Amino acid sequence: MRSKKIKFSFLLLFSLVLGGLLLTGCGVKEPDAATGHPSGIEVYTIADAAGDWGFPSPYGHYDRGPGILRMSFLFDTLVWRDATAYVPALAENWEYLEEETAYLFELRPDVTWHDGEPFTARDVAFTFRYLKEHPYSMADTTAVAAVEVLDDYRVIIKLHEPFAPFLARIAGAVPILPEHIWQSVENPAEYSQPEAVIGTGPYKLADYNREQGSYLYLANEDYYLGEPLVKQLRFVKLNPQLAGAALLRGEINYTPIPPEMLDELLGQDISIVKADYDFAVKLMFNHTKEPFSGKEFRQGLAYAINRQELVDIAKRGHGLAGSPGLLSETSPWYNGGVPAYGYDQDRALALFEKAGYHYENGKLVKDGKPAMFTLLFDPDTEREAQLLEKQLEEVGIELRLRSVETKTRDSLVSDWQFDLALLGHGGLGTDPAFYTQVIVGPSFHSARYTANEQLNNLIKDQLKTMDRESRLGLLKKIQEIYAEEMPCLTLYYPDNYFAHDGQVELFNTWQGVATGVPLPLNKLSFVQRGGIPQ
Amino acid sequence: MKWHRGLTGYGIALLLIITLNFLLPRLLPGDPLLAIYGEEALLTMPAEQQALLREKLGLDGSLVHQYFFYWHNLLQGDLGYSYSYKAPVAAVLLGALPWTLLLVGTSLLLSTWLGLILGLESGWRRGKTLDGVLLTGLVFLGGIPDFFLGMLLLIFFGVTFKLFPLSGSMTLYSGLKGFPLVLDILWHLVLPVVSLTLVRLSGNYLVARNTMIATVNEPFIFTAKAKGVPEAGIRYRHAGKHVLLPVVTQLGVGLGRLVTGSLFIEMVFSYPGLGLLLRRAVEARDYPLLTGAAILLALGVLMGSFLVEIIYSRIDPRLKHAH
Repeated sequence: MRSKKIKFSFLLLFSLVLGGLLLTGCGVKEPDAATGHPSGIEVYTIADAAGDWGFPSPYGHYDRGPGILRMSFLFDTLVWRDATAYVPALAENWEYLEEETAYLFELRPDVTWHDGEPFTARDVAFTFRYLKEHPYSMADTTAVAAVEVLDDYRVIIKLHEPFAPFLARIAGAVPILPEHIWQSVENPAEYSQPEAVIGTGPYKLADYNREQGSYLYLANEDYYLGEPLVKQLRFVKLNPQLAGAALLRGEINYTPIPPEMLDELLGQDISIVKADYDFAVKLMFNHTKEPFSGKEFRQGLAYAINRQELVDIAKRGHGLAGSPGLLSETSPWYNGGVPAYGYDQDRALALFEKAGYHYENGKLVKDGKPAMFTLLFDPDTEREAQLLEKQLEEVGIELRLRSVETKTRDSLVSDWQFDLALLGHGGLGTDPAFYTQVIVGPSFHSARYTANEQLNNLIKDQLKTMDRESRLGLLKKIQEIYAEEMPCLTLYYPDNYFAHDGQVELFNTWQGVATGVPLPLNKLSFVQRGGIPQ
Repeated sequence: MKWHRGLTGYGIALLLIITLNFLLPRLLPGDPLLAIYGEEALLTMPAEQQALLREKLGLDGSLVHQYFFYWHNLLQGDLGYSYSYKAPVAAVLLGALPWTLLLVGTSLLLSTWLGLILGLESGWRRGKTLDGVLLTGLVFLGGIPDFFLGMLLLIFFGVTFKLFPLSGSMTLYSGLKGFPLVLDILWHLVLPVVSLTLVRLSGNYLVARNTMIATVNEPFIFTAKAKGVPEAGIRYRHAGKHVLLPVVTQLGVGLGRLVTGSLFIEMVFSYPGLGLLLRRAVEARDYPLLTGAAILLALGVLMGSFLVEIIYSRIDPRLKHAH
């Protein structure tokens, strides 16, 4: 009697919840009468492990890719990028005025803010003024000298000097804010009123729940590129190990997946997007001291390390062996012609000898001292460290492995307190201004290598070279010199996979979304089929 | 009962904890700005802005300066501003607190109650089949890490049999209200609570069982038997009261693990709660959030043991007179 009751209430509970799930629907398609194609998608659910990426206003989102993405669905920039190039967004046309060192933007006349107010050139001017006072951490606007409003729909942005990354890092990254709302906001980081998320974007925020790590976005039916394809966009939190199961069940439509899950999903009716390479794991040399200050020794190490083996064993094949020029083959600025430093122990030995070393009982020795170095790494790269120890032992170099917590490694590297260190960073898929920053910049990720005058000058010049082809030429040269100088060795680029149900056509954005986010979630995918605006 | 005496002790403990909470996170190695803002962000952030942030975060001031600043705010109920969450610490903590209370509170009560009952029954039947089965089974369960048990439950009942949801504490944006919403929350609660309860059960069970075994031969049990009190009455009314004491003590200890103990379960089930919050605060070196959470924890533990003391004197009248 009692157990029957329990069973009944359990069934009731189960069916109630299931009913609730079915009623809300999980991406129900309705065929369009005229074309037979799905006219719209009711609900599309995007999952990831963290869920919460901050209140999606420009000053509220966390300064990480997924936070920027969530904001980018609500706010627009002057220009945007699709899979291959810059495309119009709030600006229909733009032109670089060489004599004035300025950009002229012709804005769309048909844009309104989510609250119905018209969008004009004054909003653009206001945004840049506001950012000077309250910097937006993901876009540095110090290159902008002045913004001049010509009329309601034309605006000129003047630069201090030619700045090649302008479209990528400013026009395509700065979210334009409504003047009528933000003009009275003194403390933007703590501004989380509903008005704080009024943008011009294809979606409006209906709910943000920090604890649950969830967002509910509703389509902005008046969007200037047309009514969005997906009516309701949801962002939720999900344990990545369960992502595959949830996707197959139809509970979610998109999720990042660990590479190990690939085989499990391949036979299923699931689409997979492999991200362009953005992240690199590098072997840092302390080139401020002997013997790493000598180019030959660094080059010798590069020949002595089998990068493919690192990928095959440490990453179980889920990665690409590093290019000595640092940029990967998926970068539009890649130079395929740089010295390859293929695994070659003989060449390594020759270079070590050039650096003053010789062999004694199978050990590399200089001035009576054996080659013995410490390799600093964090727990994430332990397997890589062990492989390097083995590989370098074969050429007579003894490595002492020193595993420390990530933050400790970072600060030791920052203070140059290491011989060799394993370290990784993203950002290689974005505008190459970033790439050059990790060569000469002051951050600990950077090789901080300023010994080569020609390299320094090229890096300065490419920033001012507005012609894309000429800039590409300079960048190819930079990669060549970088590979030759070998200030640090690119070991590999890890693979990143994303699984989705194919209802929306997802693609990798050229140079990443907005500020360069390497995720296949471009808002254009959710606006129009194929993601290309007409 | 010397209330004020007890309270003074708790006050001193709280003061010490708050001071320690202030000091400890600031003694961690590494650049806090880097941790708060993350690698990518710092890479693209201009130097002037970094300096501005350092100033804003008070990282350049002396420890003493930071400490005074800290107390001033604390007394106003302001736990500071979490830079990794970009929200007031109090709001961040209060948002997660109800879910932790629901998850850990439920499993704490369940494991205490079940442990008591099973321990009573097992100890009473020492050496019998039921005792053997319970002892082996519960000690075995107690040896399994809670997250592993959670994963097993999730794989079987969530993924394979599809009886329970895969993550979260409620069905998001389902539009459920009232009773169906409560059911939905309970439905999401089942697996995490079962995993936490099963793992914690063994501690309470063993304590209850051992006490029962020691109690069975006490003279007052003989007296009760001789008086003709029914067996169940002896077990629960006479011996049970005795067994309750150490189990309540365990409850006080358990309150201390209220938050940290559920961290892995929260991770496995993507359950929103203080455990995950704390982990993220440590990762991001979010000082205000770390100290805020620790103070909340300390308050919880102190209040918990104070409460246990009161319960104790209720169920054990001897304590009122003992000195």
